Amino acid sequence: MTLKRFLNVITFFMIMSEKGEKSRFEEWYNKYYKLVFIIPIALLVLSIVYLASFYAKTGDIFNKDVTLTGGTTITVHTDQKIDVQDITAKLSKKIEEPSIRILTDIRTGKQVSFSVETKTESPAVKAALEEYLGYSLTEENSSIEFTGSNLSKSFYSELMMAMVLAFLLMAVVIFVIFRSPMPCFYVILCAATDIIVPMAIVNLVGIKISTAGIAAFLMLIGYSVDTDILLTTRVLKRRDDPLFKRITGAMKTGLTMSLTSLFAVFVAYFIAIPPVLKQVFIILTIGLCIDIIATWLGNASLLKWYCDKKNIV
Amino acid sequence: MVSIKLTTRIIIVLICLFLAVLAINPAQSLEKGILIKNVKSNSTASSYGLSAGDLIKELNGASINSVEDYSKIMSGLDVQPIEFVVVTDSGKFSYESKTLDFEVNDNASIVSVFGNASSAGLKENYTILKINNDPVTKKEDFEEIKKRIEPKIKITLKTNKEEYAMLLSEPLDITISEIPSSNLKLGLDLQGGTRGLIKPEKKLDASEMSLLLAVSRERLNVYGLSDVSIREVTDLSGNNYMLVEVAGATPAELEELIGKQGKFEAKIGNETVFIGGKKDIASVCREDATCARIERCLPSGDGFFCEFSFAVYLSQEAAEKQASATADLEENISEQGTRYLSKPLDLFLDDKLVDSLQISADLKGEATTQVAISGPGTGLTQEEAYENAQKNMAKLQTVLITGSLPFKLEIAKLDSISPLIGKNVMPSIYLAAAAAFLVVALIIVLRYKQLSLVFPVILTMLSELILTLGVAALIRWNLDLASIAGIVAAIGTGVDDQIVIIDESRVSSEYSWRERVKRSFFIIVGAFSTVVASLIPLWWAGAGLLKGFALTTMIGIVIGVTITRPAFADLIRNFIKK
Repeated sequence: MTLKRFLNVITFFMIMSEKGEKSRFEEWYNKYYKLVFIIPIALLVLSIVYLASFYAKTGDIFNKDVTLTGGTTITVHTDQKIDVQDITAKLSKKIEEPSIRILTDIRTGKQVSFSVETKTESPAVKAALEEYLGYSLTEENSSIEFTGSNLSKSFYSELMMAMVLAFLLMAVVIFVIFRSPMPCFYVILCAATDIIVPMAIVNLVGIKISTAGIAAFLMLIGYSVDTDILLTTRVLKRRDDPLFKRITGAMKTGLTMSLTSLFAVFVAYFIAIPPVLKQVFIILTIGLCIDIIATWLGNASLLKWYCDKKNIV
Repeated sequence: MVSIKLTTRIIIVLICLFLAVLAINPAQSLEKGILIKNVKSNSTASSYGLSAGDLIKELNGASINSVEDYSKIMSGLDVQPIEFVVVTDSGKFSYESKTLDFEVNDNASIVSVFGNASSAGLKENYTILKINNDPVTKKEDFEEIKKRIEPKIKITLKTNKEEYAMLLSEPLDITISEIPSSNLKLGLDLQGGTRGLIKPEKKLDASEMSLLLAVSRERLNVYGLSDVSIREVTDLSGNNYMLVEVAGATPAELEELIGKQGKFEAKIGNETVFIGGKKDIASVCREDATCARIERCLPSGDGFFCEFSFAVYLSQEAAEKQASATADLEENISEQGTRYLSKPLDLFLDDKLVDSLQISADLKGEATTQVAISGPGTGLTQEEAYENAQKNMAKLQTVLITGSLPFKLEIAKLDSISPLIGKNVMPSIYLAAAAAFLVVALIIVLRYKQLSLVFPVILTMLSELILTLGVAALIRWNLDLASIAGIVAAIGTGVDDQIVIIDESRVSSEYSWRERVKRSFFIIVGAFSTVVASLIPLWWAGAGLLKGFALTTMIGIVIGVTITRPAFADLIRNFIKK
């Protein structure tokens, strides 16, 4: 698993920097940092290629759920077990591509509700589901959410626009803070990696993105950039320690930051029941993992390169 | 033992925390009783002086602690039918019933009869002479006797304000709920209810939009829905929508009342005689059984069919229009011998014919201002049909009173969320939050190998949570799932910032404390600015449905950067080993 190997590398970094074997690690880093940079760049390039081919195939850059395509979600609050295959098979005769999700309470391990998502309009879905279940769905025992296809189309374009705007605004702020073009560019490149690579992974795993999912990507912009700001500030604005120490120092702080967030959202992902929150948490989890790679293998290498060229020690 | 120096910044946080707790007011949950959310206007309850916001403490001597307590007692209080003996000019009738089941005009002649009275054989136009041995000569007599003899429920009700002894012939017309445990309000997706996002067919300017909102609001009020929130939302591309959230309505009702324009037209032939709204309609009879009621229920097909009828009073202008429209019509005679005009009065709702009324020949060319409008309600059981007829009547009355919505509308999104959802989902959210706090604490301990550092970190996270919730309570923001995700995001950046502060203060120990804090705040303010910048577009995008996310994140990080994190820097000073 890449994640595990990656974490090994991180631990290696941390142990090395703490155990006083600084010289050997420093030597290694100074020699190979450009090589290290290949990892995030390769991830980015692969992801772009993948997303491009995905776009060519489907006309979209990711799988959208019914909040972005238009359609109905009916959630039935029942602990009565549902046979997913059976219900899918029976419902698909009447409604368009039903997808069933079981919501479980992790504390009891019991099903609290199940939901059906489809592009079909709500009255037809309700009728089909009532027929399958053999009882009628009321405002009490079920929730019905319907989004018209025009609205979801506008949601989609709006949120994509929001994402582009957010990215641009973030870039402006970065330029205002650091004012030197190259380091700013590195931060922005890193932020782009934090969005593009997780998007490819989310697609690959088969998650369908909802409106809240897009909000999670927006959240990533904010989250991912703070470690880059930390790194850039420590490297360029503090000159007390030697460069290598500044980078590893920033890395220690940054990793602690990322790991707290990462584990917090990862744990929350397992516990929270609402699918909306679950999706936000899983996207953040993936994003924060990628951010660790992008910041400490990507942005850090680029900055070192930049410092070496500019004779910043 | 760490001794903590109270600095101005820490004191500010403590004061803010105190204010936030005050705003959230969790002590409310200690209050016993149930809350009256809404009292129907002109109802028995309002005539006794009950009003929304009162707390019911006791009912018939029993203390009330939950809605269940209340419903249990209320449902046990059914009246028993009694025997009525009615003497009329066409004979004597006796029947058992809870209500008299007929209405009379000024001359004490029956104008409508239903229920048990109808089954007993009473018919329209019979003149009432006596009811249970009391003589009746005019309407007032009837009303007085009705009030006196119809069986009633006697209840005593104690609220936080007063004690009431009431005589009721029907259940109290109030909406009740549990007392909210605090001033924090959950969003629709967590507490249940119906939400509609409605898009006008054309782009509306500000004044058109406020007209639409006003008419829609009036409609829902007239229809009798409480707990309604209607507001305009705009998206990034400048489209405007109307967002309607109602706690206690069905999606079908919302669709009928707001999703459709509700254009009411009464036509004779091709000529429009009157339309819904204040111009043509002087008043509409409602909640008065003498002129608005369910006429009869009959079995039909598999189920039942009930007919409602209510009086509408036209403006003089509309009445004259009707006169001229009927002036040239021919007279026809039906099989039963009644004389009526050759063209009926056709009632259209949104261009669909809902009813067609024969016009009595006497009204030819007459400027009558009173029109009786009738319509059906169907259902599998008589009760259901009756209820539906009542609902349809209320809808039609609403449309007639408020007039058509000024613009054609399209329902873009319609959600109905079960009130059960909160019960299922909220505990998992609390647990997730607790687990996240724990994880953060664990990583802090592992990283700094100093247990005492956990306290300032967790305290700061808690403060940020409470302060954010306090602001949410203060601005009456409904916390939906997106807002909760926003709070998570804000507190997450908080932890990041605290780590920056800890590390900056440890790394550059050769600098003064002030300098170290200044250094960390350079990074913190930088990160803050990028988060704010990236959230601004979300304020509008997606018709504002994700606004909660942007809002709570911003509240949280603004509080964090200006209030709690500076205090954290002061607080942590006591914990950092020299």
